[in-house]
Amino acid sequence: MLDIVSAGSAQKTAQLGWTGVVRFLHLAPRAFLPMRAAETITLVAGKGIEGDRYMIGKEEGFYSHKPEEGRQVTLFELETLIALKRDAGIELGPEEHRRNVTVEGVPLNHLVGRRFWLGDTLLEATRLSVPCRHIEEITGKAIFDPLINRSGLNCRILQGGIVRVGDTVRNAA
Amino acid sequence: MSARPITTVKTIVTGIEEAGADIKLFTLADPDRWELPPFKPGAHIDLHLPNGLVRTYSLCNEPADNTRYVIAVKREADGRGGSRALHDDVGVGDIIGVSLPRGGLAPDARIGRYMFVAGGIGVTPFLSVVRHLQRTAQAEFTLHLVAREEVPLAAHLGSLIEAGTVVVHRTSRAGRPDLAELVGDPDPETLVACCGPEGMTEDFERLTTAWPTANVHIERFVAPPPIIDPDAKPFTLSLARSGTEIQVRAGQTMLAALQEGGIDIATSCCGGICGACKVGWIEGRPVHRDRILSPYERERYLMVCVAGSDAERLVLDL
Repeated sequence: MLDIVSAGSAQKTAQLGWTGVVRFLHLAPRAFLPMRAAETITLVAGKGIEGDRYMIGKEEGFYSHKPEEGRQVTLFELETLIALKRDAGIELGPEEHRRNVTVEGVPLNHLVGRRFWLGDTLLEATRLSVPCRHIEEITGKAIFDPLINRSGLNCRILQGGIVRVGDTVRNAA
Repeated sequence: MSARPITTVKTIVTGIEEAGADIKLFTLADPDRWELPPFKPGAHIDLHLPNGLVRTYSLCNEPADNTRYVIAVKREADGRGGSRALHDDVGVGDIIGVSLPRGGLAPDARIGRYMFVAGGIGVTPFLSVVRHLQRTAQAEFTLHLVAREEVPLAAHLGSLIEAGTVVVHRTSRAGRPDLAELVGDPDPETLVACCGPEGMTEDFERLTTAWPTANVHIERFVAPPPIIDPDAKPFTLSLARSGTEIQVRAGQTMLAALQEGGIDIATSCCGGICGACKVGWIEGRPVHRDRILSPYERERYLMVCVAGSDAERLVLDL
């Protein structure tokens, strides 16, 4: 079916039109520690976020025993936090989902395999994040089920730099 | 890369203070003084000691003091070895892994008064609670501290003793206080709690049978067994390839039992949706509980993070 869609007779190309914004930035230096909010974070190409537990070479995250090149920075949708409250009555703060960047107006699930700009840094989305029981253990909130299929995005950093709250997020052609 | 997953919070011993009566206060902090995972008043943590022992201690500082975990440890010469290891072998600068904090009192707007009874070192779970109540002034409280002669952690309770919110009962001078009088009549707006030697907690339990269960809290020195699904049963995992057997305790996950047995299993979500821990099974009656395997796949595979067994023995292709 996917072949048929991509080779549709109308030959029209659907364009994903969006421009988003960075709402929150968080990091933590070690597994289990609370995420701390930051106004800026520094992305290092091919490595990760300065001071974060998953920076390649630091390896102090809960999943660091399973190295993954495409987990240098992780993103999460503000809209998911709003939906959790609306649909499941669960208040989850941007410091609780344990991804680094909370964005608004960015369709993360559509970006797997694509490149996009996060402020002045260039990212490549490698895979969707999956929820894990670890996050329920840390937050004490039953969020595993409601986060299935909307648990954020893992990315590789192609071009590093400083990311600030309020930065624009946009597609890279 | 570390070969095994990180399962504990990494802390460094930043202070050890002699507190009298064979008690030492240990202060644990993140190596960079980052905030530590939060806890409720009265919560406790497991310490993974250098000698391999795992021991549980109450947190004595209050939750708002969020960059430290302070524990008070009385050296028990004839104990099981945890307190001796801490007193004799652990120094400032040592690294100790700890669990996430567990337990403690959830805030309850209906409670207007707290009455605590502690026997000796049994005062430790109440230290963080009374400090929290003192700071927030959300409810009245009294802590009755029963000690033979020397008051444990007296230096840390001085202002509360002066204020009358901590009442010391020295049994060598005045005998044992009348627990029934301290407990009083059932009151839905009062929470009563006790931690101390077995005899004291048994008396307390007997005296509070008429109280609503939600208003009574008893903390024993020996941790109660974890709450287990009443239908859960232990079973044996037989590993066909390695020829070993591993016991799974009632309520324990197959994954935890395998990891305890030194079997390396890839995991990720630990909730039965990612598929990382898929393992073949050969014989038995698995209870699946995952959300990704098809009926066909379930005939051959299971997810060890969530699967159980409906029979006493389950043979895995491991």
